[in-house]
Amino acid sequence: MTDSATEVHGRRRLHATRTFLLQFIEKRGAQLGLLALAFFIVMAAMPNRLVGPLQTAITATGIPLVPPSREQFLGTDEIGRDVLNLVVHGARISLTIALIATVISLIVGTTVGILAGYYRGRVDVWLMRLTDFFFIVPPFVLALVIAPVFVEVVGRGGEILGFRPSLFVIILVIGLTSWGFVARIVRSQTLSLRERTFVDRARVVGSNDLFIMVQHILPNLVPQIAANGALVVANAIYVETALSFLCLGDPLQPSWGTMLYLAQHAGAASAGAWWYLGAPGACVLIVSLSFVLIGNALDDTANPRRRVIP
Amino acid sequence: MSRRIVNVLIRALITLLMVMILNFVLFRIVPGDPGQLLLSGARGGATQEQITGLRQRWGLDRPLFPDQVTDYVSATFRGDLGYSFKFRGERVGDLLLKRLPATIGLVGLAQLVAIVCGVMLGLYVGWRRGSAIDKIATGLSLALYSTPAFWLGMVLVVVFSTSLGWLPGYGISSPGLANVGPLGWLIERIRHLLLPALTMAFALIGQYVVVARAAMSDVVTEDYMITARAKGLTSRQMLMRHAFRNAMLPVATLVTLNLGYVVAGAITVESVFAWPGIGSLTVEALNARDYPVLQGIFLLLGVSIIAANLIADLTYGLLDPRVRQ
Repeated sequence: MTDSATEVHGRRRLHATRTFLLQFIEKRGAQLGLLALAFFIVMAAMPNRLVGPLQTAITATGIPLVPPSREQFLGTDEIGRDVLNLVVHGARISLTIALIATVISLIVGTTVGILAGYYRGRVDVWLMRLTDFFFIVPPFVLALVIAPVFVEVVGRGGEILGFRPSLFVIILVIGLTSWGFVARIVRSQTLSLRERTFVDRARVVGSNDLFIMVQHILPNLVPQIAANGALVVANAIYVETALSFLCLGDPLQPSWGTMLYLAQHAGAASAGAWWYLGAPGACVLIVSLSFVLIGNALDDTANPRRRVIP
Repeated sequence: MSRRIVNVLIRALITLLMVMILNFVLFRIVPGDPGQLLLSGARGGATQEQITGLRQRWGLDRPLFPDQVTDYVSATFRGDLGYSFKFRGERVGDLLLKRLPATIGLVGLAQLVAIVCGVMLGLYVGWRRGSAIDKIATGLSLALYSTPAFWLGMVLVVVFSTSLGWLPGYGISSPGLANVGPLGWLIERIRHLLLPALTMAFALIGQYVVVARAAMSDVVTEDYMITARAKGLTSRQMLMRHAFRNAMLPVATLVTLNLGYVVAGAITVESVFAWPGIGSLTVEALNARDYPVLQGIFLLLGVSIIAANLIADLTYGLLDPRVRQ
């Protein structure tokens, strides 16, 4: 390809991307989702500046289980910690876990899907058998047995990349178990893309397989991957919350799920402490709903013929 | 048998084998020697002799592959899932069987309510797309779909049990319930069942409405609906003869698949309500690091999921002649 051809090609791609984003942002679901998400990302970005350092049993100042008041906007937990403080810090933990896990699962799923769809034949058969397993058995069920074993293996002490080892295990387990869905969609798209003329043309001018997959097929998959990525985040948040609720999280770096576990453990529901269990749960609900809305809006924009709204 | 059925069966078998392999490998990575783990309760610690004897008895001194693997697979197929650590001496199989009825009762009622309400509502709003009721139902279902079921359970406990005091929010029966008679006993049971079952039903309804609505929306834009209209059928006839039956296809598949997943979904909900089923057993096993029980639960969940998938795959061919080849 000559330089000017690349430039024209690049400009066309830029234009297509801009049109796509404009159509996406017009959707009401996308606006709502992005707005809610921006709110939580600000929370996760600077928890210390917003509510001060994470309160512990030692630094807690409040009276246990006080309902929301002017001093404690969201009340206190059973050892007198400010629930607002915990929720804001939880945003950072929950979002980081969900986002990193999603990145891992998108990388694995896309790689498996492209390889299977591009090479077909025996590679396809074996990769898809593996995918079937991860597609059929839900991440939550797999994580339920894998997480406790690996938490035991790595122990709870120390730190890996600023995370406690058990959180790191949770991230890896969620990431490595929730890619089946992505791999299937990427594969089916790749199967049809590889028959298109631009792939033949690239092969004729001598591009190797890797170059074709990365430079020609992958860019065409981006809208699909993004739409499903948003749903994968929503699911990752659910799995993380459920696992932490079953005491597989880390009490020293509490996520929203860990808070719900603590609330359940302290009998918050039967004590009527609605603020204690309500705040983290509402956060989970809003964040995963925003990702579902964003995913649907992306999907709608990418496949406008599908008239299905939800 | 057609090629499709053979393929479906092979896939299910491979998945089952992978569940079993994972089950075998995973619980051998656990740190700590199983011999020591089993004898950890012995007074003054276990002697080396005891440990060696125990390892011999359970075949732990033999090579992992193929001896221990074949032992494990054949024992599993015989229904021997080993013995619990926590409930000393109890067979895992018996434990699971003892806890299963409570879960099935809970999940069954929830599914029934969800199918009746969710599917009907979803099909209806799919037929009347764009109406006010459609917007409300769709919004609510998406919210329900994004809500963790166990949190919904906690909220329901706060509202209906703690604040209003209408229903018990804990356990399967009240203590000190000796002389209420069979009718009183039944009412008590139902009162305890209501909140957890409603929680699970709500979690499922969101999903069913979304899928049934999408199925119906897909159907109403098909060409044969225009043909039906052109033939002069009334809306009611179109709905009953064409739309409903075609829209039920994906819905039936989803419901069948859900039958497999729903036990896993019950785990967190049961733990909220201390409902003595498989879910509470899972939590107990997790807290006590009772690996044999955890292994058994994973196998049970795996088998039910694979079976549901298998049934969905096979019946889909029966329901949809186009797939039959």
